[in-house]
Amino acid sequence: MQPIMTRAYLGEFEELVLLTVAVLEGQAYGVTVATELKQRTNRTISLSGVHIALYRLEEKGFVLSELGGATTARGGRRKRFFIVTAQGKQTLSEIRDVRNQLWDSIPTTPSLT
Amino acid sequence: MKNSPPVWADRLFTWLCPPHLREELLGDLHEQFAEQVEQVGERKARQFYILEVIRFFRPYFLKRRVTSPLNTGPVYTKTSYKNAASSAYPQPSLLQPAMLSNYIKIAFRNLWKSKGYATINVVGLSVAFCVCTFLFLTAYFQLSYDSFHADGDRIFQVYLFSNDPDKASASSTVPLPLTPALKADFPEIEAATRLMNGSNVVAYKGKYFDKQIMFTDPDFLRLFSFPLIQGNKATALNDRSNIVISQQMAKAVFGTEDPMGKRLLLGPDGSQKEFLVTGILGDFPNNSSIQYDAFVQITNAGNYQTDKDKWDAMSHITFVKLAPNVDRATVESRLKPFAAKYFQSTIDNLKKKGAKPDERGDLFAVRLQTLADIHFDRELGGGTGTPIALVYALMGIGFFILLIACINFINLSVARSFTRAKEVGVRKSLGALKNQLFIQIWGEATLICFTGFLAGLVLTYLLLPAFNTTFQSKLTLEYIRQPKQIALMLGVFALVTLIAGGYPAWQMTKFNAVDVLKGKITMKRPGFLRNSLIVTQFALSTLLICCTIIAIQQVSHMRQQPLGFHKEQVISIPVGNKADGQQVLKRMRNTLANDPTIISITGTGVNLGLGKDRSTSRSVMGFTYKDRDISTDWLQIDYDYLKTLDIKLLAGREFNPAYPSDSLDRVVITESMAKMIGEKNPVGRYFQTDSAGVKYQIIGLVPDFHLYSSKSERKPITMYLAHSQPISYIFVRVAPQRLAGAMDKLKAVWKEVAPRSEFIGSFLDENTNAWYKDEEKLSQLFTLASGIAILLSCLGLFAVALMVIEQRTKEIGVRKVLGASIPNIVFILSQDFVRLVVLAIVIATPPAWFFMQKWLDSYSYRIEISVWVFILVGLAAIFIALVTVSFHSIKAALMNPVKSLRTE
Repeated sequence: MQPIMTRAYLGEFEELVLLTVAVLEGQAYGVTVATELKQRTNRTISLSGVHIALYRLEEKGFVLSELGGATTARGGRRKRFFIVTAQGKQTLSEIRDVRNQLWDSIPTTPSLT
Repeated sequence: MKNSPPVWADRLFTWLCPPHLREELLGDLHEQFAEQVEQVGERKARQFYILEVIRFFRPYFLKRRVTSPLNTGPVYTKTSYKNAASSAYPQPSLLQPAMLSNYIKIAFRNLWKSKGYATINVVGLSVAFCVCTFLFLTAYFQLSYDSFHADGDRIFQVYLFSNDPDKASASSTVPLPLTPALKADFPEIEAATRLMNGSNVVAYKGKYFDKQIMFTDPDFLRLFSFPLIQGNKATALNDRSNIVISQQMAKAVFGTEDPMGKRLLLGPDGSQKEFLVTGILGDFPNNSSIQYDAFVQITNAGNYQTDKDKWDAMSHITFVKLAPNVDRATVESRLKPFAAKYFQSTIDNLKKKGAKPDERGDLFAVRLQTLADIHFDRELGGGTGTPIALVYALMGIGFFILLIACINFINLSVARSFTRAKEVGVRKSLGALKNQLFIQIWGEATLICFTGFLAGLVLTYLLLPAFNTTFQSKLTLEYIRQPKQIALMLGVFALVTLIAGGYPAWQMTKFNAVDVLKGKITMKRPGFLRNSLIVTQFALSTLLICCTIIAIQQVSHMRQQPLGFHKEQVISIPVGNKADGQQVLKRMRNTLANDPTIISITGTGVNLGLGKDRSTSRSVMGFTYKDRDISTDWLQIDYDYLKTLDIKLLAGREFNPAYPSDSLDRVVITESMAKMIGEKNPVGRYFQTDSAGVKYQIIGLVPDFHLYSSKSERKPITMYLAHSQPISYIFVRVAPQRLAGAMDKLKAVWKEVAPRSEFIGSFLDENTNAWYKDEEKLSQLFTLASGIAILLSCLGLFAVALMVIEQRTKEIGVRKVLGASIPNIVFILSQDFVRLVVLAIVIATPPAWFFMQKWLDSYSYRIEISVWVFILVGLAAIFIALVTVSFHSIKAALMNPVKSLRTE
């Protein structure tokens, strides 16, 4: 439990966004992250929310960003691509470990399997 | 691009978005839009787009819009700061706490440094706010008359219109059968009630009270929404011997007893009737036209049985309430055949006189007046209503005064802004933004405004009792406490701060920092705005002063109008309802016959002026004499009337006890009556008011005199003597040297001759003065307002002059060194201001003349507006301005030039 307490707090939505960035592997920017999340979670996802999450993740050091890749659909404006940093990856796996440990600790009853 | 998102949404987003994030975010938005156009179509996509933009209104973005990226996290800074290509200097917050505390500190230092200006501003604003509050309260009180009734828009007063060829007239007194006929013929009339003045004497357990009792219909309680504290609205007046009394009367008559079910005796001694109290009405609001003590059924009225089917005996007023959604115009058009059906003889008479239909096609009509307008209808109200023009005049004056105070504020702030130009320059060069400067300077103005506003409120609170006594009004602060009024006042306050504080602040933020620091910005131009504001101020003040002087002249003109009788040394005593006037008069004559203090005693039916009983009455007789239509005041008098009032006989003789038939069929007439009947030598002539009635002989002729206020002209009067009719007023002429003790003496005598009646005598000259109460009030109000207006204007001029002269210190020094004399310099400094004041006078004169001409047109005896009023007011205004300015200019001119040249 100790490492989780000391690292920066990661909200549920932020965690989802961070995972999506990892899934998209270098193709992650506002629109793709939002579309991916919409498809996978069936939630209404707003661009503003996604962006705020991305910027927060960047402030916390879980992702890095870079501008590039303008298209005509964007009116010639560049995208900000995000990639997961090593710290981000480590945090994700820590979270996963904690979750797994918790799942493993649940006494096996028919209703929860 | 073919499908593009809404431009305005993009613009909104651009404004909202932190500049360094604009490119990527707008790009993402557009890309998503392009995708959605394909998925759901353009229309839907545009909607989504707008929603998406709106979702960007988040603290995260809003905060970053104004804060520097330097303040945010290290990693973020590294990437975004490095990468942000375009205008990447986001502005710092406008309201940093550190700066705010600095602003406040500077504000207080500034105020302290310029105590004089701050005081002038605060005093000016608080006085203006206070006066404004009073005037608007008065206006609001008047406008809110009768507005408290539920369904007030459905309640109407019935009045009779007749297009008499002499003068079209509207009268609210109607005959008794009208109301039942209306109710029967018009199903859309939900309720109708008559209101007739009733007897005034109430007796309970042997004690007598003077109360205003009204005859009415059971509908009264349903039609109006006066709350019934005890009793049942539906049944309280259903029986002929029921009485509903006001709470006030309940307290006065019953004290602590429960009045419900108690019995009261009504009417004069001998013919008293018993009534059962079945309801108690709550206190009437001050702004109610209907304020009486008790109500009983109209069937109890003395003339009810005789007049209940007479369509030509006008005796009372009537209110109706229409069913919802019934239009007044439709009812009025349906009332046309109604009038033709019931008032046939009246219409025939009018036709005989040669009356023609008016623009609505009516010779004679039954019409409706809305409840809200009754208070302002002078014709229907018998001249007692408040003219609505007066209410608007009050509001206009309030607005003027507030405007003058605002102008002062603006002028002072603008003038002062030049002395603070350096501060603005320094702040600007240190990086202050326009918005920041604006907020700082405007905030200071708001501080002053707020102080003034608060002081004004306190002033209002403190002066309210004085105001109420001076103007006999019943204003309370409750009117202010209503949310609507509070909102209005806050709105006015906000407007004043916005205009008066905002404009100078905006001006100052426009200063060029470099020029200011070089000392280039001075009062180079005289300031068109400042000048026009000064002109406006003085124009308004001059206008008010002119109006005031003309109003005062008119009032004194009416007062000095010869009334036709000698009003000094006469005491008028209302007899009241508890005593028999004829008997009292006889006893008084006996008691005081040999008293040297008393010159003569007489009685009459009509008081001259308004006495302490505040009531007035009039009886008019109409008849034909030798084919002429005669209409004359029918005045009952007693022996010595002419002697008491010092009216000289022109011909014939006065009533004399030596001629017994004087009290039967002899009359004394006035000159204009003689003219009306067309007789040069009327004495000895006979006339009849009724073909079968008494033949009156004219025995005396007197000059015209004013039986009623000199607002209207002298009407023909016929005086008669009747021992059988009650006398309502007793006049006593007192010897001039004994005036002082006369009132006390009469009071003592009164106790003997009329023990049950209270002595409420008053001097006749006081009574006649009461005729001009309205005008008196009006001119007082005008005097007050114009005084305050000119004072405020001068206050502003005083301060502006000081500023301007301060800025010209060097110029004065140079002029003196070059040999200018002191009068020279004073002249140079004053002439600019005097020119403005002259312009103001020129602007103000025509409207003042026009308005006052209109106002004077409503008086029969009016003054002509003299050009001298305007010339004198103009000269006075110039003189006042000159004195105000010269206070500074002389000081400046006397200053040692060495000193002034050394400044800066």
